[in-house]
Amino acid sequence: MSGRPAIRTQGLTKYYGDVPAVLDLDLEIHPGEVFGFLGPNGAGKSTTIRTLLDEIRATRGSATILGIDTHAQPVEIRRHIGYVPGDLAMYPNLTGHDTLRYFANLRGGVEWAYVEQLADRLEADLGKKVGDLSTGNRQKVALIQAFMNRPELLLLDEPNAGLDPLMQREFQDMMREVVAEGRTVFLSSHTLSEVERVADRVGIIRHGELVTVEGVASLRAKAIRRLELAFDSPVDISRFESLPGAREVTATDGRVSLSFDGDMEDLLQTAMSTGALRDISTHEADLEEIFLTYYRDQEVVL
Amino acid sequence: MSTTAVVTRSVHDRWVGILIATVSIGLLLAFGMAIYADIGTDVYQSLPDALRSVMGVPDGAEPATLAYNVMLGTVGSLTLAGLAVSIGASAIAGEEREGTLGLLLANPASRGAVLAAKTTALVVLIGGSGLALWAASELVPVLLGVDIGAAQPAAVALHVTVNALFHGFLALAIGSWTGRRGLASGVPAGVITVSFVLSGLLPLLDATEPLVNLVPWHYLDGSQPLLNGVDWGDLAVLGIGTVAFAALAAVGLRRRDLRSRTLGTSLLDHLRSDPRTRRLAERVAGSARVSGIAAKTASDHQGLLLIVTLLMFGLMGLLMGPLYAAMEGTISELAGQLPEDMLAFLGGADMSTPEGFYRSETLGLMAPIAVILTGTVLGSRAVAGEEHNATLGLLLANPVSRTRVLAEKTLVMVTFVVVVGLATFAGIAGGSLVSGLGMSIPNIAATAVMLVLLGLTFSSLALLLGAATGQVRIAVYGTTAVAVATYVIDAFASINPDLADLGLASPFYYYRSTEPLLNGLPWGHAAVLLVTAALLTAAAFPLLARRDLRQT
Repeated sequence: MSGRPAIRTQGLTKYYGDVPAVLDLDLEIHPGEVFGFLGPNGAGKSTTIRTLLDEIRATRGSATILGIDTHAQPVEIRRHIGYVPGDLAMYPNLTGHDTLRYFANLRGGVEWAYVEQLADRLEADLGKKVGDLSTGNRQKVALIQAFMNRPELLLLDEPNAGLDPLMQREFQDMMREVVAEGRTVFLSSHTLSEVERVADRVGIIRHGELVTVEGVASLRAKAIRRLELAFDSPVDISRFESLPGAREVTATDGRVSLSFDGDMEDLLQTAMSTGALRDISTHEADLEEIFLTYYRDQEVVL
Repeated sequence: MSTTAVVTRSVHDRWVGILIATVSIGLLLAFGMAIYADIGTDVYQSLPDALRSVMGVPDGAEPATLAYNVMLGTVGSLTLAGLAVSIGASAIAGEEREGTLGLLLANPASRGAVLAAKTTALVVLIGGSGLALWAASELVPVLLGVDIGAAQPAAVALHVTVNALFHGFLALAIGSWTGRRGLASGVPAGVITVSFVLSGLLPLLDATEPLVNLVPWHYLDGSQPLLNGVDWGDLAVLGIGTVAFAALAAVGLRRRDLRSRTLGTSLLDHLRSDPRTRRLAERVAGSARVSGIAAKTASDHQGLLLIVTLLMFGLMGLLMGPLYAAMEGTISELAGQLPEDMLAFLGGADMSTPEGFYRSETLGLMAPIAVILTGTVLGSRAVAGEEHNATLGLLLANPVSRTRVLAEKTLVMVTFVVVVGLATFAGIAGGSLVSGLGMSIPNIAATAVMLVLLGLTFSSLALLLGAATGQVRIAVYGTTAVAVATYVIDAFASINPDLADLGLASPFYYYRSTEPLLNGLPWGHAAVLLVTAALLTAAAFPLLARRDLRQT
């Protein structure tokens, strides 16, 4: 399978009426990588995945999975994929066990021992009816369902929903194992932190358009951090304002907050020499801030 | 929180449906009255007064008032009661099923207050519909220039309304006690069906006549309100029942835990949860029911099939034989008094023969409802049901094509309709054999074939609408509307020669007109229904393949 891209879209476009949900999407996902597909709610992530699955049809453009056209041979493609839908619904009256049996029967070639192994890892209760399960436990059944046929490509739409941190880690391990075997994961999410732990590359989509595709490391480097420095007493903020890479510097009492994408050592030195530093807190650049980075870059280019 | 908002919201959710149903009944009333008026009244003038009153024509009234009985009395009362059950069942249990009751009760409103608001909404909606029907029943004869004489349509409208509220509150009470919408709508629907049938049958025999007082439907029309005006005693019975159901609902809702999302608990589930019976249950349930799409679909709807099959085989099939044998003398006597063209006017149902009796009691209305209902439930949900429940995406992530999903579901739909047809055949044949009625078995089989083809015609329409739109509602309402309209068209076309051409458009014409129970299989008519069903089914496939699937 290597050589052929796991997913390839060319000018993929989907309109709902006059509204473009996905616009001229060009993507190439390599075999053996975890690709994070990142965007805020309503950006077009699920529309893209549903188009890849031939649930909905592209207005124009095309897509292939493992070299097979998604619209021409949808059934052939489905032999090679596992899927967790974003808006997960299963048959509430079936137990987890029966649900997995059902899909295993439709698929064929599923080793039941492997299903049980996955259930053990995720601590899934397969004896209960799906409708009686909590969101997280229902999600586990969906994950097992997606992984159980050892698919060459996993299409996961917001798969972390409701999983506790321990299970999220187990699930991340499962994804790493998949790519270690040369298989591929397409992981859609609206939070960067969920993606960056496992993804090799990230594509960012906004308003249906692909903003960028980058390695996780370089994306992180570009991100602006929001920092808050707490001092014993009010300090002069002009020294922070003059630091390269600092923006939006504000101060209330002894607390200085700023956006910063410059050299961390400079910042710390400045802070130390300004007053008695009591605390530093930083929070992750969220998606909106990364978008801002991109929009800022675009403005610079323009 | 003011619970006025809950009332407004609940009324708002439903009023369009109620309005459409009410206007439709009003239009049917006008249509029916116009046609009866058109037929002429000569037949009636020849009838003795006593017979006219048995048929429900009031003193001094034109026979066109018969339309009141047909539209307000039968179609109207069934429709309004059905709507009331639907609203009553959804009131509490529906919100639980959707998982919205918790949200509603997170506001500062007690369970009692929410129930009171839902009750008010039910009364407002059904009462409003009753008022509109009353207005229509007064207006239509004026517009058509029909003399209604001593007829009292207001009394009919009142009886119909109170009867609907009775069944609506029964649904509300069951929903409030159990939180299960399926049960809350299924039990009252069963009560309506059985009591509708029994209220007509029980009075025919002296021995069973007193039992009719146990049947709710008897209090709707047993007193013949069109002739005799409001029967306050009968209304009091229904009214007391309604109030009692309201009280039961209040008690039931207060005492139990609310469900977050309702799941049906089947007998099998109970067996499975008990360690002593688990192995047996697993063996019975097996993994067979999830072995494929068709098996799972059949398993999902086995309850419906079981009930409909038992009803058609037992009550409408087998039991009718001995019943006819017991009443044969009485019926022949009555029939002998009627002039021949009168019989034709009544739809040609010569009740003095077993064939005529089965035709009128079983095959006229109940059997078509049974096959159409079963087929439409399966057909409308085939693909649209999975889309509505948002499960189709997951299903189609497996290596199965849309065509295969639809084909397997179609197979189950056809099988179910055939099974209902077989049950009807077995019931009627059994009834004839048990009571020695000597009916022709091949002709019974021919009748069952026509019944199955009728069912398939409408279920294919439901399949097509569901496949084309992905919306269960459109498929169900669309098919129901077409079925009711074509039934009415056929009924009127059969008594008015001017409408004969229009009648050809109705599947019921092909199902019924040649009397297969007497004359065997009408090959041409069978072919018309078969081809119609096949074309509708075939059209469903490309329509599904072409469109975007819905995300709920």
